[in-house]
Amino acid sequence: MKKSLYETDEAVIEGIRRSDERALAHLYKLYFPMISHFILNNSGTDDEAKDIYQEGVIVFYEKIRDNSLELTCQIKTYLYSVCRRLWLKRLAEKGRFATKLDDSDSFVPVEDDTLQHEEQERQFGVMGDALEQLGEPCRSLIEDYYIRMQNMQDITDKFGYTNTDTAKNQKYKCLQRLKKIFFATYKPEV
Amino acid sequence: MLEYRAYEEIERYLNGQMAAEERAGFEALLRTDARLAEQVREHRQMLQALKAFGQRQDLRQQLNTIHSQMEVEQQPATPNGWKVFWNRHRQTVAVAASVSLLSVFGTLWSVQQMKAPVQQQTARYVELRREVERLKKAQTAIINGINDASKPATPRPAAFSGTGFAISSDGYVVTSSHVVEGADSIMIENKAGSKYKVTEVYRDEIHDLSILKVTEDTFEGFGKLPYTFKDTESELGEKVFTLGYPREDIVFGEGSLSSSSGFEGDTTAYQISIPLNPGNSGGPLLDDRGNLIGVISGKQAGQEGAAFAIKSAYLMQLINELAITGQVQPLILPKNNTLSAQNRPQQLKKLKEYVFVVKVYN
Repeated sequence: MKKSLYETDEAVIEGIRRSDERALAHLYKLYFPMISHFILNNSGTDDEAKDIYQEGVIVFYEKIRDNSLELTCQIKTYLYSVCRRLWLKRLAEKGRFATKLDDSDSFVPVEDDTLQHEEQERQFGVMGDALEQLGEPCRSLIEDYYIRMQNMQDITDKFGYTNTDTAKNQKYKCLQRLKKIFFATYKPEV
Repeated sequence: MLEYRAYEEIERYLNGQMAAEERAGFEALLRTDARLAEQVREHRQMLQALKAFGQRQDLRQQLNTIHSQMEVEQQPATPNGWKVFWNRHRQTVAVAASVSLLSVFGTLWSVQQMKAPVQQQTARYVELRREVERLKKAQTAIINGINDASKPATPRPAAFSGTGFAISSDGYVVTSSHVVEGADSIMIENKAGSKYKVTEVYRDEIHDLSILKVTEDTFEGFGKLPYTFKDTESELGEKVFTLGYPREDIVFGEGSLSSSSGFEGDTTAYQISIPLNPGNSGGPLLDDRGNLIGVISGKQAGQEGAAFAIKSAYLMQLINELAITGQVQPLILPKNNTLSAQNRPQQLKKLKEYVFVVKVYN
């Protein structure tokens, strides 16, 4: 992999839009040391650094894929700002209020982006729990059909149903239960 | 079964699989049937959440893969515990380290300060034997002599010199034992120019004293000695003086007895405040009335006016020991002091005949 391919921010963004995994990998490796340094300097651990950084990259990545990001600064600054925001939040949750953050870079306000991200996280957390509660084989069935977009015939074969109708019926029941569990805990706040 | 059918319909509608007319019909139905509309809304949200959830999981998976790749690419992970510990506590550690460093060096420094006076006390003791400066010239002279054999050999000057004085009229002389150390032959000479060849008959290295005897056949005696020997201690502050040969001519030095102990508390010696130089060793130390109270031996390096003299009591002890060994006949010590009533110049005039420069050849 040639690094020069993604030397500019524009090239990286372009790569992500094209779903180029190498662009993401390049971006990820490029700025991890900076965030890791920041988190470790502000009483975090390696694991927390990884966690926060991945959140940050996800926010950036999804915004780019949605075309909903108007980047007014460098990717580096944006990532730093998001991670900084997320880390402050995490510190507050841990009951440790950082009186003074040891900033190694400038940052821009990204509250809206992180709030949106947190709402999503909450939704996904509920969804993950709901799927967990659903149990097998419902879970795999739902995941295969709705997430992995496999066709009904493959699913019928995989789960050993006699015909697609039985599978569809099964899927319907599962979805019905998932819906119940999901909406029981999840109330959209936005 | 009806609900199941409805589900199929809803999904087909959401996936855009309905034909135009069917779609229009379904939408018309939605407008009238609030319950159906609610179901469609929920279903849509549900499916969106599911899809986004799946995408997010994939993305996370991808990032984790990238992360582990990155960790493999980097150096084998350093011990994490220590790194975290260091990052969290490095300020504390820095403060602790600087405090301990400070106290260690502070202690060392203050100990050093306290030791400084002690160091002065352990200064060197210097024996006042004079190394004759012309030694080098003598050597070149010899080399010249070898080169030019026709020239008659010039007499070699002495290597060291000190001072000595007579203790009995029949040819016994005292000097410091370090003066005559390693001597091949010894000559003494007084201010009047009388020269005698002497040999060492007894030495006491502990008290740094040597007794020499004139060995010349033609020797007829020094005559009556004008001073006597004191065998008791002299008082602090008493005026004392000495004669010696720190250079070619005889030199008078005066001062007072400043301590009844010598170098590092040595009780066999006095400390005296007379300026002394190499060559003064072995000279007599006399008090105001002309009693001999000591023998000059050395001074302390780097200390002003701290010179030392062996007490005469130890000289007497030495003379007695000498008689007991039977090497020589008992000495007849002078009994009358003819100096006591005289002033200093007259005392010196008499004295200088009995004070010799001791020349040591080796």
